[in-house]
Amino acid sequence: MARFEYLEARTLRQAISLLQRHGDEARIVAGSTDFLVRWRQGVWQPKYVVNIGRIASLRRISYSRRLGLRLGALVSVRDLETHPQIQSNYSALSAAAASFAGVQVRNLATVGGNVCNASPAGDTLPALLAFDAQCKIAGPEGDRWVALSEFFTGPGRTVLQTGEILTELRLPPPLPNTGSLYIKHSPRGAMDIATLGVASVISLEGSGRVCRNLRIGLGAVAPTPIRASSAESLLWGREVTPELITSAAQAAKADAKPIGDVRGSAEHRQDMVAVLTQRTLDRALDMARGNPMAFEMQRQFAIQAAF
Amino acid sequence: MPEHIALGKSLPRVDAMEKITGKATYASDVYLPGMLMCKLLTSTESHARIVRLDTTRAEALPGVRAVITGNDYPDIRFGSGALRDRRIMATDEVFYIGEAVAAVAADDEITAQEAVELIDVEYQPLPVVVDPLQAIRDDAVPVHEDLESFEGYGFAGGGNNCTLLDADRGDVVQAFQDADQTIEETYQSQPINQGFLEPMACVANVEPNGRLTVWASTQGPYQVRAQLASVLDIPLSRIKVIAMELGGGFGAKLRLAFEAFPAMLAMKSGRPVKLINTREEAFTLNGPRLETNIRLKTGVMNDGRIVAREAYSIFDVGAYLGAGPNAGVGHALGPYKIPNFKLRSYGVYTNKIYVGSYRASGVADMTFAVESHMDSVAHQLGIDPLDFRSMNAVEEGDISVSGARLPRNGLRETLQAVKDRLGLPKKMGEARGLGIAMGEWRSGSGPSTAAISVNEDGTISMLTGSVDISGSDTSMAQIAAETLGVTLDQVVVPKRDTDMAPFTGPSGGSRIVYSQGKAVQMAAEDARNKLMALASDRLGVPPDALACENGKVYVQDNTPQELTLAQLARMSLTSPQGPIVGNASLSSMPFAPVYNTQAAEVLVDRETGRVTLTRFVQAQDVGVAINPMSVVGQLEGGAVQGIGRALSEELQIDSETGRVLNPSLATYLMPLAVDMPEIETILINVPTDDGPFGARAVAEPPGFGPPAAIANAIYDAVGVRIKELPFTAERVLAAIKGQQPKAGFIDIEALLSGENPLV
Ligand SMILES: Cc1cc2nc3c(=O)[nH]c(=O)nc-3n(C[C@H](O)[C@H](O)[C@H](O)COP(=O)(O)OP(=O)(O)OC[C@H]3O[C@@H](n4cnc5c(N)ncnc54)[C@H](O)[C@@H]3O)c2cc1C
Repeated sequence: MARFEYLEARTLRQAISLLQRHGDEARIVAGSTDFLVRWRQGVWQPKYVVNIGRIASLRRISYSRRLGLRLGALVSVRDLETHPQIQSNYSALSAAAASFAGVQVRNLATVGGNVCNASPAGDTLPALLAFDAQCKIAGPEGDRWVALSEFFTGPGRTVLQTGEILTELRLPPPLPNTGSLYIKHSPRGAMDIATLGVASVISLEGSGRVCRNLRIGLGAVAPTPIRASSAESLLWGREVTPELITSAAQAAKADAKPIGDVRGSAEHRQDMVAVLTQRTLDRALDMARGNPMAFEMQRQFAIQAAF
Repeated sequence: MPEHIALGKSLPRVDAMEKITGKATYASDVYLPGMLMCKLLTSTESHARIVRLDTTRAEALPGVRAVITGNDYPDIRFGSGALRDRRIMATDEVFYIGEAVAAVAADDEITAQEAVELIDVEYQPLPVVVDPLQAIRDDAVPVHEDLESFEGYGFAGGGNNCTLLDADRGDVVQAFQDADQTIEETYQSQPINQGFLEPMACVANVEPNGRLTVWASTQGPYQVRAQLASVLDIPLSRIKVIAMELGGGFGAKLRLAFEAFPAMLAMKSGRPVKLINTREEAFTLNGPRLETNIRLKTGVMNDGRIVAREAYSIFDVGAYLGAGPNAGVGHALGPYKIPNFKLRSYGVYTNKIYVGSYRASGVADMTFAVESHMDSVAHQLGIDPLDFRSMNAVEEGDISVSGARLPRNGLRETLQAVKDRLGLPKKMGEARGLGIAMGEWRSGSGPSTAAISVNEDGTISMLTGSVDISGSDTSMAQIAAETLGVTLDQVVVPKRDTDMAPFTGPSGGSRIVYSQGKAVQMAAEDARNKLMALASDRLGVPPDALACENGKVYVQDNTPQELTLAQLARMSLTSPQGPIVGNASLSSMPFAPVYNTQAAEVLVDRETGRVTLTRFVQAQDVGVAINPMSVVGQLEGGAVQGIGRALSEELQIDSETGRVLNPSLATYLMPLAVDMPEIETILINVPTDDGPFGARAVAEPPGFGPPAAIANAIYDAVGVRIKELPFTAERVLAAIKGQQPKAGFIDIEALLSGENPLV
């Protein structure tokens, strides 16, 4: 806990100029749910705190079938959970949001904060990766775009430069015949960080056998959230069989490079990648084949507490 | 049965309104003019000599009003019991990471923290021992070199052993020889935090008359007063302790905690000083429970009779004996008739945070081992675990470990109730299982006092020194109301402190309703007798013709003669006996055991090891429930704590340094509502002879059974016996895959010196 000066920006431009002025001595806050914890622990000791939480333009959500989903960085995790268009078109993201902390924290926490905090265990991140999110970044030099899969550089580290702010996430429109599911493995059924999280999004060719598109996002098994690329490439463009899914699950396990911590050993995490990948793929495939799963059921999967 | 006016009614708590509106005041809500904030400097070393401690820079920081170190205190050791092994603040040596080394009082919290960081301290590391199974060896690194010089040290076992509890009966060697089968197992329970919601907080102030006032978050204000007087070396009469609302304690707040730091700072600065622990400090500075290793050996006949039990348990107490392994011994038998036994329980020092009490310290650990072991033995014999328990269960008239004769009790009724509710024996589906466990405790005793006065408007003022814990004030007020024949809302329960209320034992160990409640009942009877005597005098009828009910004393034979309590109270002001005050004191209560049976149904995910608790049923003999809602709440809360202990809670401790690795509610995982099935609680009513209206203790037992019940259910579901707590997915999966657990066989004889006569 150290003293700091509190600054509030009302516009993006103001925020950028405050950040430019104070450089590395400043820290952005949005919902402050990570910030307050880190500050109290003495891990973060900024001289200036720049609150961007009141910049109204960063709160927008819009969805269209042609352009997909646009999420302002300040969109709350609670909105991700409850927004009807997100629930129906990006259900693994809504379910992931539902598995996040408790309602009070979800109301405060922002999606931009979850992304920029860059925790390997961030709950929205596997689903955002699996839905191929793109990041819009505003800075002193103007805007730039970075794919979310390129955004993370290490635990708590991102490509953001001093003075830059994440302003928006864009998710391409879902393909037809798509199913998605997030499963979170954590000791408690709420208010708990993922020991492991897996999100799979699979789209089938019209006939319903061949995999047209597949992304698997893995959380808490590497220094950053990652895609299970070798698992994805096993299925991409191929006819999906149970054997192939099992191989993909094993490949995902090999893609994971977990560490051990208070929540579980590295070996256990690695083993669980195969199990959860298999389960997300099985169910997502079923949904892609036209057997929808009620959101409540998906939520149950997402918060599958594993004591 | 006559209609009761307050007894057995699920009435809302007397303090419900102030609690739910957030107006109840806790120690951290106390604000005094000029009040300073206190922060502590704690040891970063597991075991070290302090070679330099310089507070000059901290004292020079603007806003800092006082800095203290161990040298500010008199050179006195204190302890939680007879053994005085601990200084309030380190002087020349630290024994664990987190031990207090200095404290600062400053104008605000951040300045205090900044000052703490300006204190220069230099340590010279000393050898460290963290593992209790290493520490207990004769050749272990000593935690306390001068152990034998400690006042109250009476154990000659060598090594870092500080306590031994033992019990023997019959001829164990012969009995094992005669037994048809012998089963031996080792169990291990984990370090665990009490999980109270309100971290420790206190405020200290030196009053103009020189007395010290302490606002504390405590279960035992008189214990705090006595220990504070001892460590400050001032007369007890110069201290007043005000017990504020208690945001949970579970044993952690039974004794002196941090009150001596703001107290000394207040004495030094002349200003009030407040200390509020952070949550991290609630995990790292305040005594939790540490690991326990238990080896059990049981001799049985093929027909299911248990003939012998040998039990060795090793309780890690950390750097000081903050709380004894009290119940470690007798509970090694469980509630079973075992004619021959040899029980040994050792407390051993390590360089870790010292242990505190937690809901019948040691019994939950022991019950996990004993009740898991009971199932192992039953399975080996091919007998249903419930039948096996039933055939060996103790009965009225049996002699307990302590030598007392067992009075009437509801043990069998609890077993039967659970059996009926679940329809046992019951075949469960794939990967589903069911397990039971029994538990025993005693109704807590100890000094208790109460004073009851009848006010001029007929209301009742009830004065006790005990701290309200889980609604105990309400139950006591119900006892007073029932005795005096008034409704609960007629009873005034004042806030009290150690100056105002007479001495009483702490609120803990399941003693409040049974013992303190008894004192209230006796005081209320005393007041009632005085009311009747006065009424008898005024109405001209003998006292035994009178009844005291519904707020009045009246003649029972339908003659319409009566006096209200208000009238009597006013009359008493001028009567020869004076105002109506009932008093009672007692020092102990007769042995009244408490029994319960708990059952868990689980679903085990064979691929992930995840254990889901799908149903939980418990039955407990509560004697008579003074307030059933409160009793059920207490039993549910205890069960939840036991379930957390079984499935997710573990204070993780670094094996090299003894450092607590997960000092936060984000990493120390207590279960939440979403993790719980509905807890089905059945109250059995076999009244005691001596408790108020026949009540028994309630509080401790529900936390005992869940670990074993769940372990037994996991065994039923997937056929693996887990002997280490907690049953994390990872541990269960490893067992399913056939991997060896950590807790192996403990060779106690080899650990302790061969010549040790106590082995
Ligand atoms: C009790 C509790 C439970 C939690 N449970 C979970 C959980 O289950 N799952 C989970 O994933 N997380 C959890 N968290 C963590 C936290 O809530 C999330 O990471 C949240 O999404 C952070 O958002 P925020 O707006 O509060 O971020 P803040 O705390 O305001 O900021 C977090 C970090 O991101 C930076 N930042 C924020 N917004 C931007 C932006 N637009 N551009 C650039 N940088 C930015 C900040 O500088 C800071 O470094 C929990 C936290 C708490 C306190």
